[in-house]
Amino acid sequence: MTKQDQQLARQLFSLSLVGGNLSTEHVGAVLQYLEKHPPARPVAVLRAYQRLVRAEYAKGQAVIEHAGPIADSLVQSIATLMARRYGRPVSGVARDNPGLLAGLRVRVGDDVYESSVAQQLAGLSL
Amino acid sequence: MSTVLEQIEQQIAKLSSKAVRKNTGVIRTVADGVAKIDGLSDVMYNEMVSFPGGAIGIALNLEQDEVGCVVLGDVSRLKEGDEVQTTGKLLSVPVGKGLLGRVVDALGAPVDGKGPITATESYPVEKIAPGIVVRKSVSQPLFTGIMAIDSMIPIGRGQRELIIGDRGTGKTTIAIDTIINQAKINKVGLASGDPKFRPVYSIYVAVGQKNSNIVRTIGALEAAGALEYTVIVAAPAADNPANQYLAPYSGAAIGEWFMENGMDALIVYDDLSKHAVAYRQISLILKRPSGREAYPGDVFYLHSRLLERSARLDGKGSLTALPIIETLAGDVSAYIPTNVISITDGQIFLETDLFNQGIRPAVSVGLSVSRVGSSAQIKATKQVGGKLKGELAQFRELAAFAQFGSDLDAKTKSQLDRGSRIVELFKQPAFNPIPIEQQVVTLWAMQKGFYDSLDLKGVTAASVALREFFATRKDAVLAEIRTKAALDKDLEEKIKGGVEEWKASFSA
Repeated sequence: MTKQDQQLARQLFSLSLVGGNLSTEHVGAVLQYLEKHPPARPVAVLRAYQRLVRAEYAKGQAVIEHAGPIADSLVQSIATLMARRYGRPVSGVARDNPGLLAGLRVRVGDDVYESSVAQQLAGLSL
Repeated sequence: MSTVLEQIEQQIAKLSSKAVRKNTGVIRTVADGVAKIDGLSDVMYNEMVSFPGGAIGIALNLEQDEVGCVVLGDVSRLKEGDEVQTTGKLLSVPVGKGLLGRVVDALGAPVDGKGPITATESYPVEKIAPGIVVRKSVSQPLFTGIMAIDSMIPIGRGQRELIIGDRGTGKTTIAIDTIINQAKINKVGLASGDPKFRPVYSIYVAVGQKNSNIVRTIGALEAAGALEYTVIVAAPAADNPANQYLAPYSGAAIGEWFMENGMDALIVYDDLSKHAVAYRQISLILKRPSGREAYPGDVFYLHSRLLERSARLDGKGSLTALPIIETLAGDVSAYIPTNVISITDGQIFLETDLFNQGIRPAVSVGLSVSRVGSSAQIKATKQVGGKLKGELAQFRELAAFAQFGSDLDAKTKSQLDRGSRIVELFKQPAFNPIPIEQQVVTLWAMQKGFYDSLDLKGVTAASVALREFFATRKDAVLAEIRTKAALDKDLEEKIKGGVEEWKASFSA
């Protein structure tokens, strides 16, 4: 991927934001534009664009990994807590992960909050 | 008992149910020891990041969408999609006297098979150099044990003196000789019980060298009994460029500990040409813009920030640096040599021609200089060797003219004869540093014309015999020179008496 591809992907990404948040309509419009006016290396530009959108999307989502059952109210309260912490709307998504043994792992964007038995065991083995 | 309790406490802390926050990223590409990572939005410049499998990396390029990290360790197990975590720590190495006599890698881990290192402290690898206020001017000598250097290009504690020359001209030998001489002085000084004596500890940083050469250096130091005062930081040619790039900074951190704790240290960077090449490799892989000879724009800063860390601190210790630069076909005007020449406080230039003529150490007196000058010399050396540089320069000039004509006046002939004797006198075998008091006696005898009657080829042997005579039979005179550090009439008479006694026995 060239610098020009990356720069174009970044420009398209900034056009996909409304008030600092990702807009589904704008993303659709950007994709339509790219279909009509394909750049020199469309795959590279789309890959770079996808990466930026994915990273932005992850910032608005709290992926809550858990071992065993988890109440919807807990998912909701974690999402609210994260929204307050990051000062932006955050939705909660629960994902079962038996590898944690017990406890939770919450991922918001690049940040991971973890309190699980698996993590503590890994700490002991160090 | 308390240690056991602390260990249990640490274990409990590990098992605490408090949530831990980590900033993570995902590897996008890995190539030539450099990983490009998506994420790591909180990473700091030069922060250590942790890769799966225990490998460590340093964040060197913080870009808009990605982070470029050099990986210090095995990259073969890393793959696209692996999770990377920030550690919140800057890279640091263990420091202290526990490292003396040990061989460590760029991260301070032992590689000599002598077991773990007992170090209680660690220092950051990258550190801002001491400022103006805390520094003190260089005035205490650091004897190399090489007569040509100590008498004409003196080095002081806290100075940065470059050793520059083509391959195979004896650059490393000068550095090793200096380290051996420090060990010899340390042994004598510590045995004397003088409370004012300040030992010099040495750090030898091997960058991009063959493992066999490093082993030879260790062997030479061990044979001379100098290893116990030396730390060796090894980043051989087989090591990845990231380790070669870091090794000099790790060595500087180890040396800084001695300096900050009121001790004197000497650091040898062998060599900075290979260091610059390793950095160029990393920079090109990180896609940093390249400049002259494909080096990145900050290659000057690479060496200036390293060498500025050597200093003499007010009320503390000192760190003397002997960086080594390898030139190609004697070209000192190349990019890296000129950079390092401008940063250092002088250079010792070694010439291939002199080396091939058998003049070893092959120090080119005309091109070598010490900007600290005679302030880093003891008075005795100034008294006997003050005019040597001028005399040798004159000799070289006359020798060039003498090649064209055979009719020379008596004065010119005597100047040429004297110059050739000085050149012979400065010949010295490798790993055999000469104590400063013996140097004074040797030069005194030369100034007073004691070698004039000898055959030119016999001058070197005569000087060796003179030193041996004084070491075995006139130890008191040598001790007096060492303690007084200056020649008065009385002392000169004693030297004269000794030299005359030797001359009588030598001629006989």
